[in-house]
Amino acid sequence: MKPGIAAVVANAAANLRDDIAPQLNGFRAGNASMIAAMLDIVAEEWDRAAGRLVAENADLRSVLVRGAALVAGPAESPDFGNGDLRISALERENERLRTQLIELQTAVETRDDAEAQALDQAIWDLLRRSVESRRIASANF
Amino acid sequence: MKPITEDLLSTYLAGRMPDWRDIGIANLHRLPMGASRETFRFDLAYTDDAGRHEDQMILRRDPPASNVDSDRSHEYNAYRAIHGHGIPVPRMILLETDPEPFGGAISLAEDLRGFHNSEYQIQQPEWRERLPRIAQGLWTAMGRLAGVPVEELELGFMKPATPEGTAMQELDYWEASLDASDVGPEPITRAAIRWMRRNPPPPAQKLAMVHGDFRAGNFLYDDAGEVIAVLDWEMAHLGDPLEDLAWSMSRVLSFGKDDRRSGVAPREEALRIWQAASGLEIDSAALRWWELMMCIKGQAIWNAGAAAWVKTDDPMVIHAYAAWWLRNAQDRAILELMGKL
Repeated sequence: MKPGIAAVVANAAANLRDDIAPQLNGFRAGNASMIAAMLDIVAEEWDRAAGRLVAENADLRSVLVRGAALVAGPAESPDFGNGDLRISALERENERLRTQLIELQTAVETRDDAEAQALDQAIWDLLRRSVESRRIASANF
Repeated sequence: MKPITEDLLSTYLAGRMPDWRDIGIANLHRLPMGASRETFRFDLAYTDDAGRHEDQMILRRDPPASNVDSDRSHEYNAYRAIHGHGIPVPRMILLETDPEPFGGAISLAEDLRGFHNSEYQIQQPEWRERLPRIAQGLWTAMGRLAGVPVEELELGFMKPATPEGTAMQELDYWEASLDASDVGPEPITRAAIRWMRRNPPPPAQKLAMVHGDFRAGNFLYDDAGEVIAVLDWEMAHLGDPLEDLAWSMSRVLSFGKDDRRSGVAPREEALRIWQAASGLEIDSAALRWWELMMCIKGQAIWNAGAAAWVKTDDPMVIHAYAAWWLRNAQDRAILELMGKL
């Protein structure tokens, strides 16, 4: 779509925040400002969300495959998304993988052998990368 | 939700307050505050045997779905319990627990006008010089609350707690809230919960009345930065006095996007003020545990907002906004506290 979606949404947010919200009062003004802030988040996420999810899902699969060698249970299965790159499909796959990650970390985090500790560290590294890649400009932290 | 109108309020008060005559309601409007309750402001006039009265009022109404498990009765009783014990709060006027008249339970309180309560306003450059005074008022009020002997308060409406059990009681409560508002797997939050269960804090040094949401945005201050009143007591409960302090340290509620906690003062300065006002000790390991606990609570509340947005016919913008804005930042705060960032 032209003009680009991220730019258009960011511009709509600016209009709502700077031109429209100041004309409103009380509860409506607060709602308009929040909707403008949400449009800013949409603009920020629009271009990066699919790439971020593809990369994170690959990261998750890699750690889960490594974990399958250490922890009894079903080995990580192939991509359930079947190449579907819609964000909704990528998010479903991401949630499936993150659920498995919780089970894996629960199994290894209290073990004192070097392999388990290294895997636990790899999980924390993955989670840190995930959080940093999801940061939004307006966040307080 | 059922519209609240001036006629509806006037008719209700005429029935509820038989001694009031010539009741007038004016300037009723909803305020832009609160993710958990609706808040309205209005002017009230009436005549009784003492003469003509003109008061400014706040009405709060319970919504059909909220991000916080509380109700009008709880907050109303919390305000009344702490009133007169050295913590500035507005006076409660009336409680209506029957949802029929207004489509939800309501409470009325005195409206302290002419003051500010914006966590964003105090981030503006012109407020910078007044932040030390705000910090002094904020953490002094919080410390005084921590120091109030709970035996002197009427807190029978609250869930019982013990110094030994309050930590796990809070963790159990908020983990159950996360389970009830499942909006997707939370590997960071769940890992923190497991660590907290393996590493419990020492018993609380005393039981305190915990405000439950003591931060910038939930107190009134004047033009000079003097704290006038502490608001929003709907999550008040019995617990560890470090809990409110930990909540006020929250990274996600540090609205200056820097090291000033609550967007008001550096961490060490806030702790110094609180300690002087409360007369209590700050065990750094215990405080860290409670800061993590407040991250769990925060994530549970943001997730509950997201879940409420999905399940109601008339979703509130703030529930979706808070979830989008806060959930990842909350995860990041957990990583920092666990030394994993």
